[in-house]
Amino acid sequence: MRLKHSLFTRRQFLNGVLGGWLGALLASFLYPIVKFIFPPYREPDEVILPFSDFEDMPSNSVKNFAWGSKMGILKKNDDGSYRVFVGVCTHLDCNVTYLPDQRKFFCACHDGWYDDSGLNIGGPPPKPLRRLFLVIEGDNLIIRKESIEQES
Amino acid sequence: MRNGIQSWLEERFGISEIARFLTHKKVPLHKHTVWYYTGSAILLFFTIQVITGFMLILYYKPTLEMANESVGRIMTEVPLGWIIRSVHSWSASFMIAFVFVHLLSIWITKSYRRPRELTWMSGVVLLLISLFFGFTGYLLPWDALSFSATKVGTDIPRAIPVVGAWITNLLRGGEDVTGDTLTRFYGIHVCILPVFLFILLGIHIYLIQKQGMSVPFEEESKGEKVKEIPFWPNFVYREMIIWLVLVGILFSVAIFLPPSLETRADLMAPAPEGIKPEWYFLFLFQTLKIFPAKILFISGEIVAVLLMIFAGILFFFLPFLDNKPIQRKGKFITAAAYVFIVYALIMTIWSLL
Repeated sequence: MRLKHSLFTRRQFLNGVLGGWLGALLASFLYPIVKFIFPPYREPDEVILPFSDFEDMPSNSVKNFAWGSKMGILKKNDDGSYRVFVGVCTHLDCNVTYLPDQRKFFCACHDGWYDDSGLNIGGPPPKPLRRLFLVIEGDNLIIRKESIEQES
Repeated sequence: MRNGIQSWLEERFGISEIARFLTHKKVPLHKHTVWYYTGSAILLFFTIQVITGFMLILYYKPTLEMANESVGRIMTEVPLGWIIRSVHSWSASFMIAFVFVHLLSIWITKSYRRPRELTWMSGVVLLLISLFFGFTGYLLPWDALSFSATKVGTDIPRAIPVVGAWITNLLRGGEDVTGDTLTRFYGIHVCILPVFLFILLGIHIYLIQKQGMSVPFEEESKGEKVKEIPFWPNFVYREMIIWLVLVGILFSVAIFLPPSLETRADLMAPAPEGIKPEWYFLFLFQTLKIFPAKILFISGEIVAVLLMIFAGILFFFLPFLDNKPIQRKGKFITAAAYVFIVYALIMTIWSLL
């Protein structure tokens, strides 16, 4: 039955109310399920490492550390300064390795190359390696997402 | 377009036959109809168990080192994890509670009589599977309480003559409850039991559809024809209302009373005070407790366990013990149901004192 000037019949209206209510109920069940299945990834704001572990590194060499659940790379330059990267290839997420003889980072998955400053120079990688920033505070190395002070 | 796909699928699956069956299926309407709803309430809670179980599997780690920690992580770090675990834990209790109500209603209305003997027996096996689900799931958080309860629970079969020690070793995966037991219980809980449960459930539901709902004799014998309502949509809509209420209660309880998590079980630590199994094992637990250490020459535990097994066998074969024609009352068996209810209640309350 449809009232004058009404857009719906009574049955359509009732079906819409009931269906909409059921849909809302279903959504309220699905929401927590989806929330649960996808845990948020929290990237660390900073990672603190004992300086003594890295002090004796020869120049032109790298040492790995855990940047959250990703591989971090700390590289000692020729002049004794450090450079820090997220050691993950920007192509398809493989961990890269440093080849000291060639002074390049290499990704074995699809033959990707970066120079020793992390710049992508060959193969498929679309972007340079992501850089992290380092502060030496007393006995600790503090590695941060962003450079807050002048990097050392 | 839609019709095209529908008829294409229909030609291959023939679903309309099932749909026709469901629309023609009738549910008798009488003063005991309320008990028919307990079956679908069990299915509801079982479905919730499956969904929340699938979710918990994503984060749970069934090893000695990680089990307790991973449950802690679910409770604290995983978004809404505490609700999911709480719902899984509470829904298990609700399911078992409804299993008992379902079973007692069938016992008292004598719905297991010819030709429904196999429906009853598959139901008893489903009960055992449900209890075993509860027992194996209880260990998985691996805290002091669940560890000790499992030690006690898996030690009980040892009292059975000849095969007892063998059963205990089989359950534990060795002489003692260790990390191997945990991994074994996990496998049983998430893999082996579900397979058997689905097979038995399939048989159980098939038999019910095949034979139709049982109408208690006192209703059938009134002379007039028993009223009926269509299964679809009338009965299903009523069931849905009940599901909604039950889900509301379940979630409220789960949110306000989440299960606790103690620190990780230490294999070498003394048992904590006041260890108790889940509530549905309490009456058995108390029964074991009240038996004296020695009855004449035999240990009390052996007598208690053998008595329980004997009662279980009688229970399983109930339709054959009470195989009188439908119109005979069989008062003794009905009385036994009430005796069982009173006994279980008294023992449960006693164990909580």
